[in-house]
Amino acid sequence: MTESVIHLQDVKRYYVVGDFVVKALDGVSVDIKRGEFTSIMGPSGSGKSTMMNLIGCLDTPTTGLIDIDGENTAGLNETELAYIRNRKVGFVFQQFNLLGKLTALENVITPLLYAGVGVRERRQRAADALERVGLADRLLHRPNELSGGQKQRVAIARALVNNPSILLADEPTGALDSKTGNQIMELFEELHSEGRTVILVTHDREIGMRSLRQIRLRDGKLEEGYAS
Amino acid sequence: MLLENIKLAFSAMRGSKMRTALSLLGIVIGVASVVAILTIGQSASQSITESIATGGLDMVTIYPSSGQRSTGTFDEQFSDMLIRDVEGIQIVLPQNNSSGRIRYGQESMNASVSGVLSDYGSVLGLEFAEGNFFSALDNINRRQVAVIGSSIAETLFPDQSAEGNYISIFRNQAKSYLVVGVLEPKDATFNLSYNNTVFIPYNTYGQRFIRTSSVGAYVVKIAPDYDTIEVSNRITEYLDDIVGSSGYNLFSPATLAEMANQITGTFSAFLAAIAAISLLVGGIGIMNIMLVSVAERTKEIGIRKALGASPNVIRGQFICEALTLTIIGGLLGIALGALLSYGVTNVLDWSLHLSYTSVILALGFSMFVGVFFGWYPAMKASRLDPIDALNYE
Repeated sequence: MTESVIHLQDVKRYYVVGDFVVKALDGVSVDIKRGEFTSIMGPSGSGKSTMMNLIGCLDTPTTGLIDIDGENTAGLNETELAYIRNRKVGFVFQQFNLLGKLTALENVITPLLYAGVGVRERRQRAADALERVGLADRLLHRPNELSGGQKQRVAIARALVNNPSILLADEPTGALDSKTGNQIMELFEELHSEGRTVILVTHDREIGMRSLRQIRLRDGKLEEGYAS
Repeated sequence: MLLENIKLAFSAMRGSKMRTALSLLGIVIGVASVVAILTIGQSASQSITESIATGGLDMVTIYPSSGQRSTGTFDEQFSDMLIRDVEGIQIVLPQNNSSGRIRYGQESMNASVSGVLSDYGSVLGLEFAEGNFFSALDNINRRQVAVIGSSIAETLFPDQSAEGNYISIFRNQAKSYLVVGVLEPKDATFNLSYNNTVFIPYNTYGQRFIRTSSVGAYVVKIAPDYDTIEVSNRITEYLDDIVGSSGYNLFSPATLAEMANQITGTFSAFLAAIAAISLLVGGIGIMNIMLVSVAERTKEIGIRKALGASPNVIRGQFICEALTLTIIGGLLGIALGALLSYGVTNVLDWSLHLSYTSVILALGFSMFVGVFFGWYPAMKASRLDPIDALNYE
């Protein structure tokens, strides 16, 4: 059995909204192994976004344990969480979330900037990452000069460039037409076959079924039969 | 990282040119007025000092008051007494001044007439267009010789050399004097217009020009390595002791220059302090634009946080942006202030003395304003919740 890259143990995330307590995630325990291609699925309000935010260290659990790549995240401060986001997690968002004023290359360079990589090396690595996603000829284009599919490829290159332990994609095809979405899914499949750990968050059953493993959430709990 | 931050700052400025320009205006005006006021103040005091200094910064002149002239204190022995009793005096030259009408041929004019010792020329460093100063022997023998200022030479001898000619000096009666020297033009000081003065030997003055045994003034030259202001203070003390403060007037260019410097210094410091308030107001403008910038870029901040930017990095980015803004404002302000000073000094015909202290001060202060007023918006940015920021539309 290969090691767990993500280990969630009885994770709860409660929000207080007025007089109510919203149990966005209510006692979830999951292990995801290195090199797995996993989907987190469920209807809206099921807690899949909360789970993604927790795995991506954008949020911290109310109770429970989360280990990312063997590192316990409990009690870490903002700076330490930022470090994990930078080194261990690569985000891909539905709306691409590129920095509009920067070129494709500068967008991909940004995580390396925060990792303290030197000027020459970060240019080289960013160019390599863009080449990997098939955008070698779009380095100096700005997001508004790129199509939706190209934007998402830039975002994937940006997520890959720091060699993270996990690739965390939130509805990566949600803003794309089906043909382009299919190409992006193929890219994820390729990355998985290269040995990367890919986690897909989606409400789209068809997309989710393309991964090898599905984690289904409903009302903040794992659905019966899918716990692992 | 710094370079990237500066690039980001510039791209943010390009994104909202008008807003940036308006916010910068406060800093520009503040810095420009501080630099201009201090520079103009410094140029003013420099030009005052220069005009006072032509009288010799190592000279002090004592004028016995008219009531004291007949008491016998201020006679020719007073010179030796002063040198003996007050430390730091090189030489004391007695002098008498009045005026008369000067004529040569058909030309005539009014001029000052000074009776001075033969050392006077060398002590004051007078320069000669023709001839030289008269000698000690001329004085002892009460010869009727004269050294004339450049304006007098120009008026009376427009087409010929003055040296060797006889001029007439009228005062009750006309007497002729042999011109032995002509001075180069020299700027007037508060007490003497050299160009318009005829210098004759001291004894000739007292016995042939106007009969007098009293002394009109004593020119005191301070010994080298002594501070003029200190020595002139000692002279003041000494004279207060023997004749009282009403018994004489003391004219000390160095003391005057010091006083003028202090006045212009205090005055321009006061004005600069007022101008500094506009810098403060400019700082509030910077804070305003930075708050707007942080609010507008909430999404960007969220993305950067997701990519691994720590709170420190985000804070650094926005402080760097505020600093870039204020430094640009500071540099523009310095340029504008220098231009303003150049214009003013040019119009007033002063020499420009750019106040480097004010340049460094203004730049330093505007950087301080950048950090101080950029801090709060930057803190706000760094504390944004990454999820909220990412979902911000």
